[in-house]
Amino acid sequence: MQARNIMITGASQGIGKVLAEHFLAMGDTVIGVSRSESGIVSDNYHHHLADVTEEADAKRVFASVKKQLGALDVLINNAGIARMNAFALTPISNVQKIMNTNFLGTFIFCQKAINLLRKSPHARIINLSTVAVPLNLAGEAAYAASKAAVETLTRIMAKEIGSFGITCNAIGPSPIATQLISGVGEDKINKLIQQQAIKKMAKVEDVTNIVDFYLQPNSHMVTGQILYLGGIS
Amino acid sequence: MDVISHKQIVIQALELSNQSRSDETQIPLLDTTILFGQNGYLDSMALVALLMDIEDAFQEQSIDISLSDEKAMSLSRSPFKDIPSITQYVHDVVAVQT
Repeated sequence: MQARNIMITGASQGIGKVLAEHFLAMGDTVIGVSRSESGIVSDNYHHHLADVTEEADAKRVFASVKKQLGALDVLINNAGIARMNAFALTPISNVQKIMNTNFLGTFIFCQKAINLLRKSPHARIINLSTVAVPLNLAGEAAYAASKAAVETLTRIMAKEIGSFGITCNAIGPSPIATQLISGVGEDKINKLIQQQAIKKMAKVEDVTNIVDFYLQPNSHMVTGQILYLGGIS
Repeated sequence: MDVISHKQIVIQALELSNQSRSDETQIPLLDTTILFGQNGYLDSMALVALLMDIEDAFQEQSIDISLSDEKAMSLSRSPFKDIPSITQYVHDVVAVQT
């Protein structure tokens, strides 16, 4: 398979970092984007310090990619934040932060990526959602709503940018032991897992597996889809 | 850069569009050709692609412009109707944004 240029937001930790290392091991070039420095060291890794919610940052990142690499094949919108809180007690500032990072950040990066992606023979956008959307999880109103917005964006973008040969899909991971859920109690995680068809914690590799599926050239007819782990539907 | 140079960039971007179009749907590169709007050759996504190609051409000359402006899309007299109107719009945007 020909080496690809893959951009991953939120690449400095968690799922984003594992995905970056996975693609580097496959010989791809990875463009990592995050607010903090990355510990990844590789000739094929280019890190950009950026806030995904800032349009100016996104413009700078894509201008740099165009100058440095000239092309982009894949955008993975992984940057995200979560805050567990009862709806009635959620500070509005938290809602704004969650919506900005999870939805607005995804929107901005998708929009700015189109121009480079449309020149790729197998252009892909993959957005990160969550099983909290179909499960309507209590205590995650803002987080689940932000990811529901991402899912709707994914489906509509798939229609609008299909003519450019770009597929756009999402993955909804079930609970994985990453920093994102480190503040969630064990009881709550266990209850959530009991709602799944496959009643166990997922691993980051389960996400990688679906990403690999979406990226296959043979997946060119797969777009506008949200794939949940754990048998949630 | 003058209006003639800007028109050349618009035409080159349309030539790029034609490369991905079938023989039956080739866009005649004439001032009178209706590009966007009723009976236009371009649908909204083809217009987006054209505007991105024009922006790319300017970026290659280190001129950073953004043509997909909400105001432009909603103007009653569309600046994207034909080659002369797009050229004038590009000329105006370059004058304001650079």
